[in-house]
Amino acid sequence: MAKILIVDDSNMLRDMVKYALNEGGYPDVTEAVDGVDGLAKARATVFDLIVSDINMPNMNGFEMIVELRKLPAYAKTPILTLTTEKNDDMKAKGKAVGATGWIVKPFVPEQLLKAVGIVLSR
Amino acid sequence: MAGFDINKYRQMFLEEAEEIFETIDTILLEAEETNSMDNETINSLFRSVHTLKGNSASVELALFAALAHEIEFFMDRLRTGELSFEESMAGLLIESIDTLKEILELELSDELEQGYYNSTKCALLEKLDAFSEESHEVQILIEHQVEEQKDDFGLLLPMDEEGAFGPISGTVEVDAFGLFDDEETLPASEVSDDGFGFFDEETPEAVAAEDDGFGFFDDEIPISSPKIEDDDHFGFFDDIPTSVEKHIDEIKIVHDDTVVEEAKSSKKFKPESASNSIRVDLSKIDGLMNNIGELVIAHSMLTQYTSTMEDQKIKSDLSERLDLIDRHIRELQESVMSVRMVPMETVFSKFPKVIRDTAKSLNKKIDFRHTGESVEIDKAMIEGLTDPLMHIVRNAMDHGIETPEVRRKAGKHESGTLMMSAEQANGQMIIKIQDDGGGINLTRVTAKALENGVIDDHQASQMTKEEKAMLIFAPGLSTAEAVTAISGRGVGMDVVMSNIKKLGGTVKVDTEEGYGSTFTIALPLTLAILDGLTIRIGAEQFILPLSVIIESLNPEAQMIKQIGDNTSEVLMLRNEFIPVVRLHTIFNVKPDHEKLTDGLLIVVRSATQKIALFVDEFMNQQQFVIKPLDRNFRNAHGIGGATVRGDGTIGLIIDTMNIMNKY
Repeated sequence: MAKILIVDDSNMLRDMVKYALNEGGYPDVTEAVDGVDGLAKARATVFDLIVSDINMPNMNGFEMIVELRKLPAYAKTPILTLTTEKNDDMKAKGKAVGATGWIVKPFVPEQLLKAVGIVLSR
Repeated sequence: MAGFDINKYRQMFLEEAEEIFETIDTILLEAEETNSMDNETINSLFRSVHTLKGNSASVELALFAALAHEIEFFMDRLRTGELSFEESMAGLLIESIDTLKEILELELSDELEQGYYNSTKCALLEKLDAFSEESHEVQILIEHQVEEQKDDFGLLLPMDEEGAFGPISGTVEVDAFGLFDDEETLPASEVSDDGFGFFDEETPEAVAAEDDGFGFFDDEIPISSPKIEDDDHFGFFDDIPTSVEKHIDEIKIVHDDTVVEEAKSSKKFKPESASNSIRVDLSKIDGLMNNIGELVIAHSMLTQYTSTMEDQKIKSDLSERLDLIDRHIRELQESVMSVRMVPMETVFSKFPKVIRDTAKSLNKKIDFRHTGESVEIDKAMIEGLTDPLMHIVRNAMDHGIETPEVRRKAGKHESGTLMMSAEQANGQMIIKIQDDGGGINLTRVTAKALENGVIDDHQASQMTKEEKAMLIFAPGLSTAEAVTAISGRGVGMDVVMSNIKKLGGTVKVDTEEGYGSTFTIALPLTLAILDGLTIRIGAEQFILPLSVIIESLNPEAQMIKQIGDNTSEVLMLRNEFIPVVRLHTIFNVKPDHEKLTDGLLIVVRSATQKIALFVDEFMNQQQFVIKPLDRNFRNAHGIGGATVRGDGTIGLIIDTMNIMNKY
């Protein structure tokens, strides 16, 4: 069963992503409230997928991904970013820091599950 | 699969939005006061508005999100240095956020009309745009420097770190690492309205490859920039080309800077790192508290049972162990209580904004200060406390603190001072609101109270200064010559009193004409536990909160007077007439004593009123865990709550306010 980590400073969005994942057959979901928390939790448990917001206090999503990719356990783990924007800058940065893909907010559960399904099956 | 429960998420959004608004208000008020805004502050503001925008779109508040986008856009220009901070900007931003709050409320209640929204948005945009003209010179300068980077509309659209410009950003280039998609450079007109990206609104040209609403960095087309050899389409860290690694370093540096700046900047408006904390619904803690209450009850049942045991050896062994359990239960109770406690800062932070707005509308200058931010208060009390505090503060600003002219004439400093403090003393929370305004005109208050029949001439002549000041809490009393929009028409101070009473607290006012007033609110530290006195009437026992009791006595015959057609009794106590209430008639129980002189009278008070309750006997005094009454019993006259006693029986808690209201 895939272990998934959600990183978002918004309680509401974490809950939405978790709900969508649970409904879609991924019950093993852990939540983190910002990049610092996400990094700590990712160090403590090895996750199969990370879904992270970008815009967060303390440590943003991109910064967290940079740190995660330094860890051998996360060198190839799929990391999806949740983003309000889908412009080139976001894409370029996402790619640069080593994120796997992005999901635009607001999202519908089916889209999230489709993206998750693809990255987990690769 | 089922979609989202939008109402649930709207509620969550609302809770988060309130917190974010509070953060923003704090930042902006400080900016207005200091007339400056540093980069960290601007970033923090930007991040807050960005979150509001993104999250509101997730709960289908499209109009709110669109307006938030405009404000975000403005803040982004500040952030990138395209606009520089000006004196009036903080004020305008405060106004913008107020508009945002208003739109949120309307959209949530489904009362937002498109016409009103459009005009509001236009009016706001006009004001925000005014800054662009003022800073025209700066803009021209930049335009010269980067002329080739202008988009089709001649607007500068610098990229932001997180791509906040959304669809429009494809048109510009201030990008440090040059991943720049020529293919997506389309006229901003086609997409620039669309700041918050609903999937169905996407222009096909821009997002041909993204109809799914998600994408993978390794299958992206836009890697057409010559600056990076991007043959690998995988985007893993190990494979990233050097130019991108450089960028990663930059990101890291930016982060380090942020950390340093965070350490430097005041932590006041910074949400604390939440990584060591969790959010728990208050009802869960209440549930826990309730369980402890049950434990306390079970424990006292056991203690009571033990006392009936005959074998002395077993009895004493058992008592010893029960004492140990008792200690653990108390510790557990304290731990759970401490979870419910939040710092007073949560309450104080609501005021600067209100004070600023009110002072502005009254043309007064008010300096707001507060102490005791770290003093802790039961979270459950905050809701009940905020309204009365707000009312006292508004009242102090409206009727207490004078206009700058009046103050100057009186030899005072132009700006009035409003001081709010919190401290814990004698197991109580003491909150003081102090102003250095004109004080309460006691002659006028007394005259008004006489006119309204709140007191009679005799009472007026007997009243001390303090008692006269307390008259402002009587219903329907407003001495303000002109009723104002700020503090209304005397509806309120009596509500302040009853709200504080509901929290089990008291209010006191000290005033000195010409020098100002001080309101002192004393509250129990928690709502969950009550110090009470058990009283007995016939076969029934009730619990009376200690906080309302002034004194008790066994009256002598000459102290009791009959008034009316001998239908009412009053107690004459030190020249004061106090109505006597026979509790046995209210609760319909058969008392031991019918004659007042055979029983006991307990004098209890509210702000303006005292009554003497007639009971048969006092029992013991102890702490009780308050349990709310079931809905069906909420109308029970004179009963405010219930508790479970040591022997497992239910104890009813007397609501003296409720009894007084009938007299």
